Amino acid sequence: MRAAVYNSIIPKVILNTVKRSSRPVFCLRVALCFFLLLPGLVMCSLAADWSVPEQQLARKIVAVTGPGAVALTVENRSSLSKRESEIVSDGLHSVLETLGLRFVKPEQAVATVAISLSENPNAYVWVAEIRQGDGKVSIEMVSTPHVDGVVSAHDSLPLSIRKIPVWAQEEQILDLLVLEENTTPTHIAVLGAEDVSLYRSQGGKWQREQALAVAHARPWPRDLRGRLIPGKDHLLDAYLPGLICHSTNGTPLALNCQESDDPWPLVAGSAGGGVSANFPGVVASTLPAIPQVGSFFASARNFFTGALAPGVGKFATVPKFYSAAFLPRGKYVLWLFAAVDGQIHMVDGVSDQPARLNWGSDVVSLRTACGAGWQVLATSSGGPGSDSMRAYEFPDRDAVPVSQALDVGARVTALWTEAKGDTAIAVTRSGETGSYEAFRMAVGCNQ
Amino acid sequence: MKRFAWQWVVISSLVTGVVAGTAAAGAETRPQYGGTLRVAMHAAPASLDPADRTQADSFARRNLTFLIFETLVTADAGGRLHPGLAGSWQASSGPTPENQRWQFQLRRKVKFHDGTALTAEVVAAALRVANPGWKIMPESDSVVIELEQSDPELPAELALPRNAIVKRTADGKLSGTGPFRISDWQPGKKLVLAAAEDYWKGRPYLDAIEIEMGRSFHDQLMALELGRTDLVEVAAEQSHRVTMEGRPVAASEPVELIALLFAHDAQTPAEKSLRSALALSVDRGSIRSVLLQGAGQPAGSILPDWMTGYGFVFSADADLMRARHEREEVKIAPAWTIGYDPGDSISHLLAERIALNARDAGLTLQPTSAATADLRVTRIPLVASDPWIALGEVAAAAGLVRPATDGRSVEELYAAEQTMLTTQRMIPLFHLPAAYAAGASLRDWKASADGGWDLADVWLGPGNGMQ
Repeated sequence: MRAAVYNSIIPKVILNTVKRSSRPVFCLRVALCFFLLLPGLVMCSLAADWSVPEQQLARKIVAVTGPGAVALTVENRSSLSKRESEIVSDGLHSVLETLGLRFVKPEQAVATVAISLSENPNAYVWVAEIRQGDGKVSIEMVSTPHVDGVVSAHDSLPLSIRKIPVWAQEEQILDLLVLEENTTPTHIAVLGAEDVSLYRSQGGKWQREQALAVAHARPWPRDLRGRLIPGKDHLLDAYLPGLICHSTNGTPLALNCQESDDPWPLVAGSAGGGVSANFPGVVASTLPAIPQVGSFFASARNFFTGALAPGVGKFATVPKFYSAAFLPRGKYVLWLFAAVDGQIHMVDGVSDQPARLNWGSDVVSLRTACGAGWQVLATSSGGPGSDSMRAYEFPDRDAVPVSQALDVGARVTALWTEAKGDTAIAVTRSGETGSYEAFRMAVGCNQ
Repeated sequence: MKRFAWQWVVISSLVTGVVAGTAAAGAETRPQYGGTLRVAMHAAPASLDPADRTQADSFARRNLTFLIFETLVTADAGGRLHPGLAGSWQASSGPTPENQRWQFQLRRKVKFHDGTALTAEVVAAALRVANPGWKIMPESDSVVIELEQSDPELPAELALPRNAIVKRTADGKLSGTGPFRISDWQPGKKLVLAAAEDYWKGRPYLDAIEIEMGRSFHDQLMALELGRTDLVEVAAEQSHRVTMEGRPVAASEPVELIALLFAHDAQTPAEKSLRSALALSVDRGSIRSVLLQGAGQPAGSILPDWMTGYGFVFSADADLMRARHEREEVKIAPAWTIGYDPGDSISHLLAERIALNARDAGLTLQPTSAATADLRVTRIPLVASDPWIALGEVAAAAGLVRPATDGRSVEELYAAEQTMLTTQRMIPLFHLPAAYAAGASLRDWKASADGGWDLADVWLGPGNGMQ
């Protein structure tokens, strides 16, 4: 038997650059890395190697025309950029010249060669229509697989959102947990629909250490969601609809999953003990402790049922919601629930005030060194096939945008605050390729 | 802490006003579960059995099939293959020639809508109905297919709707493994589907789909305007007008071939010259502008350019001078009858217009709605997104020899297509897209490049299109 026709794609890893030890240094480094790496990434994406198809097509053309004077045109009918098509055109001219062709005007040519840079869903198709003096027309063509592009983003105004690539793969990503990091993550866990994969960076290369199967008896609901939480005395917990998995402590690691309707934690981190434990930079005395509020997740759906454990003030339940964020105030904590009906419910323990803010369904809170110190990151639709993200502050109880909307260039499928609370993990799914990317979302200070 | 009701009212008003003005319009939410989607379609299939070859291939039939049934292998709009009910597959290279014996490993934990498990025996039985000539053997949790000849295209062939896995009961009922199960079926009139709660890829967001069949394009649009349906088909020639009236139309890539199909091969050099003259006389540009209202693409190739990347090489331009020259090569040209489907108004208009074009070249064509004619205006849906399979399906529809599929390169595909066209059995005219219009409440809906639906992923939101 030969190898299977279908093979899963090998995950590709992208760099990550966040230093967490010092906030000003962190901001500076992120900014520097962003601006230094971005042109590099773009250049990398543009530097496709066209030499092989150029030589293949050139040889085929010369096999028909033989060396001599030809009139050559190159037309781009594909999604190649103008710059890229010029590179290909120059390359073709160069190789054809090497093979003995001279380029002249049509009236002086023994043959005309019209090259069209075309494409189909899987490949670029370059077609040469060769008309010779005797009226004979020959068609020659070559194809070369498509190459991936790189999407970049920018930001400005009071605060800025930075999107730092961490991981990309073909398979679904539900959440990503950074287990260890130096200046960049060196050990990560990626929650997929069927497993938790652990990757370690060694010598600049990521290697999968282990894949811990997520054993589940029932089919997953559509729009599957899941969350990874660092464990108190073990590596991690994975929360999925109707299922909770705890990693073991020993080596090799294992994942014990059991059907459970226990509530999912809504507050970042698992250390417990209130806000100071989750957000070390916060002066605890100035803010109320944030109870480790959790909520029950509907086992066959994509939302939280609204039942809270413990409740928020007098509210043991709120409307069904997709995500929640919180903002500590002087004497209370304001909770924001992105409800299934599209409204944002602002719950302070005494009242529940719904508002239609035109936000999307994913919100997180971030504690940063910028602006008022606490921001809410909310998704919104950025257009067909693409979502955007924006940071808001709540000086009182009205949402004030404090950053430009960042078009993330794909649909946001997950957004969870990271354990330390100053960044979030966003997962996007490309509408074109269907592949998933996990980003660390950071709010930077512009002023 | 001051918390008064009036403050909340003021604040929420301000929040709504301020933020709504600054946030991106049309905020998105996660998909919502529930609701019944109402669909109308022109086709009126009398059977839902994918293997029923008495039913003509159509996009509607394919789309219905894939709501209820699934195939071992799936093909995306670009023709790339993915695991379906088979998690993996391989061709043997042992004693049998390469690509002649294939093994498909079945996915576990998949159930039919009647609650029974997907087994190799049931899969083998289903495939035998669709392909009586194949030797199909269940082996544990896999299915082995042995072919008489090597066929590297078998996985792509298995992605076709006719090879969907159907469990047939003695009383004639059909059961599938797809996202929706049959709830009510009135052949040719109405189909009601309910969400399969235990669907292995996750229950669909919708609770149910109601599909009304046999509705004219005009009636479908009226129903959409009146809010009585959520998703309708739009005739390609009406797409422009519907768009101008403010209703967004979602169109696929051009996935339907309209061609002139001769009843038999050209027998003599004279007949070949006359067919060349006819092909050169058709003014596709004008026909597209007038009859098709700008829809579709003039075609000189069998497969559309988006699918191959070389379609433009086959000229679709009229050349009356050359047409006359070809005509003059033959002393006496017989009058041909050109047939059309009397239920297809565009087909009728095309036949008349082509007859006029032909007359300019000195040819005589007599339009007829009779069942037999020398040549016919024919619509051939390209239901396979794999170009090799699509070409083979067109060959079968045209009564031509299926192209050999030994090669996979684009050059070989081009050569195969050129060989088919050299027979002069068909004259490609246009490639048309499949077009749809949807109500404002339908979310995450898009017509895929190959005209397919994916209604398991759509959901219903508020009707005004805003959350």
